Amino acid sequence: MAEVTLKGVHKAFGDNAIVRGVDLEIASGELMVLVGPSGCGKTTLLRLIAGLEQADAGDISIAGVRVNEVSPRDRDVGMVFQSYALYPHMTVRENLAFGLVLRKTPRAELDARVAEAAALLELSPLLERKPKELSGGQRQRVAMGRAIVRRPRVFLFDEPLSNLDAALRVQMRGELQRLHQRLRSTMIYVTHDQVEAMTLATRLAVFNQGILQQVGAPLHLYENPANRFVAGFLGSPAMSFLPGRVQGQVVAGKGFSFALPAGAQVAAQDVLVGLRPQALRIAAEGALRGEVEAIERLGSEGYVYVRTEAGPVTARFEGAADLHVGALVAIAADAASLQLFAAADGTAIALRPPPAVRAAG
Amino acid sequence: MSALVALALAASQLTLWHAYRAAEEEALQQSIALFEAANPGVRVESLALPYDAFASKLSAALPTDHGPDVFIFAHERIGGWARESKIAPLDAELAELGPQFIPTSLEALKFEGHSYGLPLALKSVALYYNKKLIPKPPATTDELVALAKAHTGRDAAGLPTYGLAYQLKDSYYQALWLHGFGGSVFEEPGHRLRIATPQAERALAFVRDLALRDKVIPEEPSSTLVSALFRAGQAAMAINGPWFAGELSGVLYGVATLPIVSATGLPAKPFLSVEAAFVSARSSHPAAARALARFLASRESAVLRAVLGRQVVATRAAYDDPRVGGDALLRTFRRQAEQAVPTDNTPAMQAFWEPSNRALAAVVGGGVAPADALAQAERRMIALTRPVPERRSAWPYWIALGLIGAAALVFGARKRTKSLATGPAASRAARRLGLARAYAYVAPAGAGILVLVLVPFVLGVGLSFFHHSEGHYTFVGLHNFIEILGSSDYRLTEPMSFWFTLAVTLLWTVSNVALHVGIGLGLALLLRDPLLKLKGVYRVLLIVPWAVPNYITALMWKGMFHRQFGAISHLLKAFGLEPISWFTHFSTAFAANLVTNTWLGFPFMMVVALGALQSIPADLYEAAEVDGASKWNQFRHITLPLLKPALLPAVILGSVWTFNMFNIIYLVSGGEPGGATDILVSEAYRWAFQRNEAYGFAAAYSVLIFVFLLGYSALTRKVSQTEPA
Repeated sequence: MAEVTLKGVHKAFGDNAIVRGVDLEIASGELMVLVGPSGCGKTTLLRLIAGLEQADAGDISIAGVRVNEVSPRDRDVGMVFQSYALYPHMTVRENLAFGLVLRKTPRAELDARVAEAAALLELSPLLERKPKELSGGQRQRVAMGRAIVRRPRVFLFDEPLSNLDAALRVQMRGELQRLHQRLRSTMIYVTHDQVEAMTLATRLAVFNQGILQQVGAPLHLYENPANRFVAGFLGSPAMSFLPGRVQGQVVAGKGFSFALPAGAQVAAQDVLVGLRPQALRIAAEGALRGEVEAIERLGSEGYVYVRTEAGPVTARFEGAADLHVGALVAIAADAASLQLFAAADGTAIALRPPPAVRAAG
Repeated sequence: MSALVALALAASQLTLWHAYRAAEEEALQQSIALFEAANPGVRVESLALPYDAFASKLSAALPTDHGPDVFIFAHERIGGWARESKIAPLDAELAELGPQFIPTSLEALKFEGHSYGLPLALKSVALYYNKKLIPKPPATTDELVALAKAHTGRDAAGLPTYGLAYQLKDSYYQALWLHGFGGSVFEEPGHRLRIATPQAERALAFVRDLALRDKVIPEEPSSTLVSALFRAGQAAMAINGPWFAGELSGVLYGVATLPIVSATGLPAKPFLSVEAAFVSARSSHPAAARALARFLASRESAVLRAVLGRQVVATRAAYDDPRVGGDALLRTFRRQAEQAVPTDNTPAMQAFWEPSNRALAAVVGGGVAPADALAQAERRMIALTRPVPERRSAWPYWIALGLIGAAALVFGARKRTKSLATGPAASRAARRLGLARAYAYVAPAGAGILVLVLVPFVLGVGLSFFHHSEGHYTFVGLHNFIEILGSSDYRLTEPMSFWFTLAVTLLWTVSNVALHVGIGLGLALLLRDPLLKLKGVYRVLLIVPWAVPNYITALMWKGMFHRQFGAISHLLKAFGLEPISWFTHFSTAFAANLVTNTWLGFPFMMVVALGALQSIPADLYEAAEVDGASKWNQFRHITLPLLKPALLPAVILGSVWTFNMFNIIYLVSGGEPGGATDILVSEAYRWAFQRNEAYGFAAAYSVLIFVFLLGYSALTRKVSQTEPA
């Protein structure tokens, strides 16, 4: 268990800057999820922490010690690769034991630790098999087991669930959470899947184009996104953005007008109005009107994609509403949940005074 | 006279085989035209054959109806052909014409009381000298040594010069000193090969002193080196045959007969080879064939052949023609031919060369005492000419073969009924039809395998149960194998022993494969380095040694290993080291072979390893690095095990290739010193083609090689099966 600190970390491949000045502190025992779209630099950042890449600038510290020049094998980190990277010529047991053998762990301890990890991950019956004789989920567990047996100070996960089918992913997500609770070690987890990120994370770090956008507890980020990117990235389906203008206590755009919550003090300016689908619903009367473009029925509820005069909007509906593509509908909004972002740079505009420090540590 | 013959000849078609080229062929054609003009009813069809294949082709064709009526060949094989009645005796012709020919040529054509062939041309060596350096050729060996010493050193350009250059390590040349010291190859009476004689010892000591003490002869003088040195004026004298003159345009040279050996007062007499026109015993037009042979030996044809083809003709009258008698080269070689000893024409002569060459090499190369070298050569020769073993009854072998065959049939039939008996009748019929069709599809390939693999294999195995000598095969059962495995004629540690050769072969195979894999893998790892630029260029360059035909590479390395002129010696000298005589010690000769074969062998392993390396995912190395593996541990635990499935078959293949790598052994070390670096397959070759045609023995060697490799491949198959990829 150790904290990991990144200070001003830069990394470029040729002219292509991938990580552009990241400062991030990961507390001991925390499960930090690095999330962002493909190419945002999150995997590179993880490999920088592992030592598989060298930072161009900045400091990477583990347990307070700068490790930039330390080779991966001396950083005492465990890593689970997206492809699992199991040694194909070794049995599961040998795969698990490899790191311990290299560290010349005594035989008895080695056996005990392999058995422990195998039991934890339900791999005991598979120990004598080779990776190619395992299913995807089993391979995934072996890859985790290989990191666990060594009891490293920091675990690094590089999109470990992305090669699994949806059901297995949900199951493994649960197992990962239990694992974290049992081991209580520092874990850094990279994913592009915001659902995975939201469900797993102690804290979440959202990246875009090599720049850290916001760090915090998942719900805090969901409720208080620092900018339009974070707001749009977290939540499913994504938040809808409509251009408008704040005038006094009203924000209005083409074909819509919302009253700002009571007590909001916002200067007159051009904004983007952020509306979560969950805050919008199909109604007989509403602030927005438009034509249905697509319908997603999930059973008890569903989402409808509507083209309004101001732009596309996603709204939730309940039950088996009588909707069809091409119908004209009205959408009612819960004005209390709308969020505003500056039209110029996308930063969030506070509608009420900042709350007491909620994003703990 | 030819008109008389013409009257007697019925219309006939003759076939004439020869191995002449260029001017000699032209002279022959003109002679034939003259013959045809004089004998209108006779047509002669002449066929030029490649020299290397000529003898074996003749041996095969003479007993059939497709052979030639007349052929021109050197006299050395008369004994074998006469015994097998392949050629017709020409006693009557020689009795009549004999005095017209140079006397030594007549001796050459006699065998067991009869004479065969009419002599056409004489080939022996004589002394060439550079007229710029040597105004008057030496008359005695003392003069020769003094002149040679005077011209050994360095020329104005600093290049080394030698007094004398000839193919020192070839017994063909050594024979001239042997005769000059009063020795001979055969002991008479009894006509027994005898090489360990005091005269031979003195002749060897004389040559050893020239080479090792006076250093007037370049080391390892191949024919190309002799020619190059003499042409460049770096060799004042050379011993060579009339053919050498063709290479000397632009050189002011003279030819003289060989000197008198000062120690004995006898002239140095080279071996004489007589090219004669032979008449096949099966010719369907014997009268016409004899007439053609007579015509070819006549003065008319001889003048043509001498003037046009520059042959040293055997017909004395030809030298009356000023164009022939006035040719200094022809005149000198004629005189030399009169002072020459015809090579023995009995089959026993074939056992002379290899042991005698080995003795020569041991003395002038390795500094072995002449007496010791000759004694060993004599033992070797006796082993080669051992009497035909007792004929064995073939019955036990037929019975054993029958039993094995029956067992195989029963086994095969059982398997077949098993596979066919399952399933309902209808599908069985369908399967039978399918099988028939499948057999039809593989039939062409099956026929190819039958003809190219199975038949030679069975013949080879069969041959190993026979003893061959002088065209006769005797069934001897397992005798060959018992002699080989029992090593009855040699101690186990002698190069001729099977076990010694096997040990050398194993050492050769293991060290080669280890180097090939080591270097190949190392280079593959380097080539995979992502930081390396120009990878494609390096890869192509490194594969080049593999792409060059291996005998060319072998000859290049052989040249580089030359002690005086080789690139390696120059390199050693540049570093202030003493050049090495590579082929005089086992370790260095073996190393020379090894270096050459490694040069040839590593690219294959590199290509295999490179392909296999590229299929190892990079993230395995990253995982291993995070797991704590150093570079060495990554190589040991990741690279090597993952390369194994690709590398193991390559290693098995490579070791079989190396085990049977004939070219390198034969061309680079040639088995030197004393056959110590020969491997099993080159020994098999020598038994068949260099040692008295011991075909049965050679076949037995091949069978043993086959059995050994069969065992090896079974073993490796087991190994690779227990550890699947």
